[in-house]
Amino acid sequence: MFCKVAGIFVYSDQADIAREIIGFARLNGRQSVVLTLGEKDAQALQNAGADKIIAIKGESEMIENYAQAIAVMLKDESAELFAVGATPRGRDLAARVAGYLDCAMVSDIAAAGFEGDQIVCTRMMYGGAVQQTEKLSGLSVITIPPGKFATAQGEASILSLELPADNRVSLMETAPIVKEGVDLSKAEKVVCVGMALDKAEDLQIARDLADVMGAELGCTRSIAEERHWLPVESYIGISGAVIKPKLYLSMGVSGQIQHVYGIRDAGLIVAIDTNEKAPIFKAADYGIVGDLYQVVPMLTEALKK
Amino acid sequence: MSQVIACYKWVADEADIRINADLSIDLSKAKGKISDYDKNAIEAAIQAAAVLGGKAVGVTFGTSDAKPSLKDALSRGLDEVCYIKAQEASQADGAATARALAAAIKKLENVSLIICAEGASDTYSRQTAPRIGAFLDLPVVTSVSKMELTGNTLTAVRKLDDCLQTVKVDLPAVVAVLPEINPAPIPGLKAVLAAGKKPVHELKAADLGVDLSPLSTISEIKGYIMDRKNIIFNEGDLAEQVKALVAALRKEGVL
Repeated sequence: MFCKVAGIFVYSDQADIAREIIGFARLNGRQSVVLTLGEKDAQALQNAGADKIIAIKGESEMIENYAQAIAVMLKDESAELFAVGATPRGRDLAARVAGYLDCAMVSDIAAAGFEGDQIVCTRMMYGGAVQQTEKLSGLSVITIPPGKFATAQGEASILSLELPADNRVSLMETAPIVKEGVDLSKAEKVVCVGMALDKAEDLQIARDLADVMGAELGCTRSIAEERHWLPVESYIGISGAVIKPKLYLSMGVSGQIQHVYGIRDAGLIVAIDTNEKAPIFKAADYGIVGDLYQVVPMLTEALKK
Repeated sequence: MSQVIACYKWVADEADIRINADLSIDLSKAKGKISDYDKNAIEAAIQAAAVLGGKAVGVTFGTSDAKPSLKDALSRGLDEVCYIKAQEASQADGAATARALAAAIKKLENVSLIICAEGASDTYSRQTAPRIGAFLDLPVVTSVSKMELTGNTLTAVRKLDDCLQTVKVDLPAVVAVLPEINPAPIPGLKAVLAAGKKPVHELKAADLGVDLSPLSTISEIKGYIMDRKNIIFNEGDLAEQVKALVAALRKEGVL
């Protein structure tokens, strides 16, 4: 056994999230065993307060390909929970492990804790309109988005472990993502355009405002995926960027639930739209009901002063 | 003939959800729809079936409410739909959903490819494709933004947080596609009319021979209300409203 009592097994391809999940384990008085792919990632987490780090060695560079072997390990170790960072790789691995174990799983928790032996998780449904609380018993899997828990400190020992890989999916090539847009998740201020913008040239109105505000430019999913006026990285929402700027200002955005999911942690939300019944106003701190073509240039001028 | 499967889900339209004063949820006014991203999965299956010279078959797990989805799905170009009609679908979690879909797919012959969206627009759990892969012990490729079929080999581009991965896998396989993989066209009138003549195979829970009860227990469901100031500047003309907004933002210290 890798730990003396049933503990939380942790994995994230992002070291920052792994640190937060170790913090979650500590917070709940649980031991944590961190899985990494290779020694290098293991060393990066050595001071993160885990009880043990297992550096997986094997024939694949893709962590997902160890899902079945990890499922077997969790069972053998009588693990209490497999907590995985909610990234594309992590979600894939987590759900595959849950599938092999045929156990309960809660994805992208908003909050998680223990009530005795049960794990209690809250998550968002219907694009954020609904909050659901679920209780899990026995060995379960959850995925945890970044920024949910405080990190911990403390040295952990590293154990190298050979695991069999499922090599049916083979990695041919890895290319860095050429991000055409900016990283909105780190922006302090964001100006967001929606479908009330008539043509691509009119993006200039938004750019001018963003420039005087020192803000980055974002958009709704339809602007990026249907009209292709801005790169995919620029769209905000449940399947796009989830942002937490100090100030978010939207123009011509109706405020569909999926979009609002992406801005719920913004410090201040400002909306400009002609439709006073648009749901964005319910999500906003400040609003002006008016045509963006009139309001936005006036706002830009006012901010120049 | 090889079969390409598109898994899809009939969901309540989140735009119609009403939240009562006590934060309980009112779904009575909510219309049903094929989950948004599943439309891209259906289109991807149709395109893959054309390349493989096979059939594109939809598989859905739903209650009797999901019946209108059949014509909708078929009008999008699927050749057939397999409808697992079970009341259990209303309580299903990721485990039960994947068990139902996997059991139905297992009954079909010559399945070469199973395509899902990353997640459904109601739960957005993103568990279905990997779980089906595990149940059927098939290889899985998720987060797919592009895919190409050559003979029996699928080459896919996966869009991850930090990189694009090109991966290769021999069929049969399970794939989860991102919405950007294709534009998912709106069906024309001719396609809608033709849909009524296409075959639908109905399965009952008992036909599947698997347990469809959920593994997690839902203890509470409530509406989420954004706690915001909701101040609309509507005094005076637009110039004055803009001035009031700027003053408010300066006071908040966010400019």
